[in-house]
Amino acid sequence: MTHSTSRDRVLGMLRGEKVHPVPCFSGVGNVTTKGLDKLGYRFADVHNDAKMMAEAAVTSWELYGYECVVVPFDLCMEAEALGCAMNPYTETDELLYPTIKEKSKLTTEQIREAANPSLVTKGRIPLIKEAARIAREKVGDQVAIGSYTLGPFTLGGQIGELEPLLKNAFKKPDEMLDYLDALADVITIIGKELMESDVDFISVREMGATTDVLSPRVFRKIICGPLKKIAKSLPSPNILHICGMVTPILQDMVDCGYDAISIDSKTPLKEAREKLGPDVVICGNINPFSTLNTGEPQEAYNIAAQCVKDGASGVHPGCDIWPTAKPENIEAMINASKETAVE
Amino acid sequence: MDAAKKEELLKRLSQGVVEFEDDEVKEAAEEWVATGEDTYDAIFDGLVTGMEEVGRLFSAQEYFVPEMLMAADSLYIGLDILKPHMKQRDTNVKGTVVIGTVQGDVHDIGKNIVKMMFDVAGFDVYDLGRDVPLEDFLKKQLETKSDIVCLSAMMTTTMMGMPKVIEMIKEKNPNCKILIGGAPITDDVAGKFGADGTAKDASNALEEAVKMVVALKDLQKNS
Ligand code: B12
Repeated sequence: MTHSTSRDRVLGMLRGEKVHPVPCFSGVGNVTTKGLDKLGYRFADVHNDAKMMAEAAVTSWELYGYECVVVPFDLCMEAEALGCAMNPYTETDELLYPTIKEKSKLTTEQIREAANPSLVTKGRIPLIKEAARIAREKVGDQVAIGSYTLGPFTLGGQIGELEPLLKNAFKKPDEMLDYLDALADVITIIGKELMESDVDFISVREMGATTDVLSPRVFRKIICGPLKKIAKSLPSPNILHICGMVTPILQDMVDCGYDAISIDSKTPLKEAREKLGPDVVICGNINPFSTLNTGEPQEAYNIAAQCVKDGASGVHPGCDIWPTAKPENIEAMINASKETAVE
Repeated sequence: MDAAKKEELLKRLSQGVVEFEDDEVKEAAEEWVATGEDTYDAIFDGLVTGMEEVGRLFSAQEYFVPEMLMAADSLYIGLDILKPHMKQRDTNVKGTVVIGTVQGDVHDIGKNIVKMMFDVAGFDVYDLGRDVPLEDFLKKQLETKSDIVCLSAMMTTTMMGMPKVIEMIKEKNPNCKILIGGAPITDDVAGKFGADGTAKDASNALEEAVKMVVALKDLQKNS
């Protein structure tokens, strides 16, 4: 199969084609301080302006040839559509990620009511679609444009308190399943809308359900079902991303039915490949902090090269790239992906 | 209460915590109180022993965060019943702690677990929650005259707020001990930030805090 553009390479890889060299990209946030500085933008200001968001998002492709453009950068979009308020921290000069400052605490009933077509007009969803459109204008068909939504459990922790959610996973599994099922519908509606805009591929981030937090048993019992439901209706190509340690639930992640899975540095890639066999699309597993932020270029190169040798379908950081990541390290990671032969 | 009864109640308290049996803990605690005996042992050899086992199961990846939180709930149920009946001891190391997750950071699962350990040990704990404006730590420290301020951060950006808090507090009150933690915090980072200590997990956090309080008490005695 020939892949003439970077976009073809990434989308082809996600659909299960063997792509050489292995693409180096991300399905989650990846703007860097160098990109923001080039534009003269503050991180706090790019979240509420489609044009600034789009311009910031394309910088990693422009500066480093990183094979993706991903909007947005924060985890608040769906929660805002469900009535929560986001804090972009515009009043401080520190680089901080937006958070939910007021939780709407919707009940299952209320979520079911909200899960109707008008949902996609709420919060920043129109703004993020517009950002994808502007990004498309800028990069044409050269680069794949990505976006993401949260998984049901992680979204539940954004719109409500996480602790009761964690406990009810045990105490009231049936109620929880119903709640997560309702959130799955919300995510499906939003995910489809994004995929019908200029977004080429989408990640579902269920970071709250990592094995660092939840047991594999609970993952199987209440997390998998709603994730499967989303995968059934979400257009391709799509990725299930869970950061942290997920080795015990790898097969369950695959069984959720996404085109690809993406894993973090805490989950060894070699072992994942051995467990899952040659055909599963696995993206991973560069440590965004210790490798890209504080590491050295030679080290970043070696780690990314090893990642290809260990069987990564795509070289992908384990979570959002930290804006202060060193440009030399990102370049080294990209070069290693290009220069390392697939075994 | 005879030795056999005591043993039985201790076992029910600790097992109750390990298996998050709220009712079992409640009944055992009430039975203990009804005997009129000091509840010190019930707390430390019962509830706390149970929580230590939970900590062990957590490290061994047999228990996860929900199990930990449920065990904590059972423990608090027991603590609420037993604490009012505990006789004060002067050998007890007790201190006052202000704790919170720094501004810009909503990761509070770990902080809540650390907080629980302090509650168990009988510290007076003021929890400022998550995403706490940096000045609020100083305000609360001055208001409560706490022995220790605990800062939690899970991100490498938000952890940069820590040295600012440390500077603010040390300037006003050089004797206040500052304990910091969270995934990105290493001994190295803690040293650079000017913190008095760090710990990888909740039980080590408590151990560090106890050492700090002991050191503070010694300081007071000698001055
Ligand atoms: C759950 C989670 C979330 C939840 C948080 C919910 C909540 N209420 O806490 C949600 C989904 C909201 C979330 C959001 C984000 N997250 Co997050 N999240 C995690 C995750 C998966 C687990 C953290 C956790 O709770 N661990 C379990 C607890 C028990 O462990 P712990 O916190 O380490 O605590 C222990 C010790 O550290 C210590 N300790 C903790 N505090 C203290 C304090 C003291 C004084 C002491 C002594 C000890 C101590 O004792 C604790 C008990 O043993 C981690 C990845 C991972 N697998 O660890 C990422 C992670 C922390 N998140 C990350 C990121 C990037 C984000 C976002 C920025 C994503 C985005 N694009 O917006 C946002 C942040 C928004 C914000 N501004 O805060 C990164 C941080 C990267 C970095 N190096 O800075 C991580 C590491 C993921 C990754 N692999 O990159 N996240």
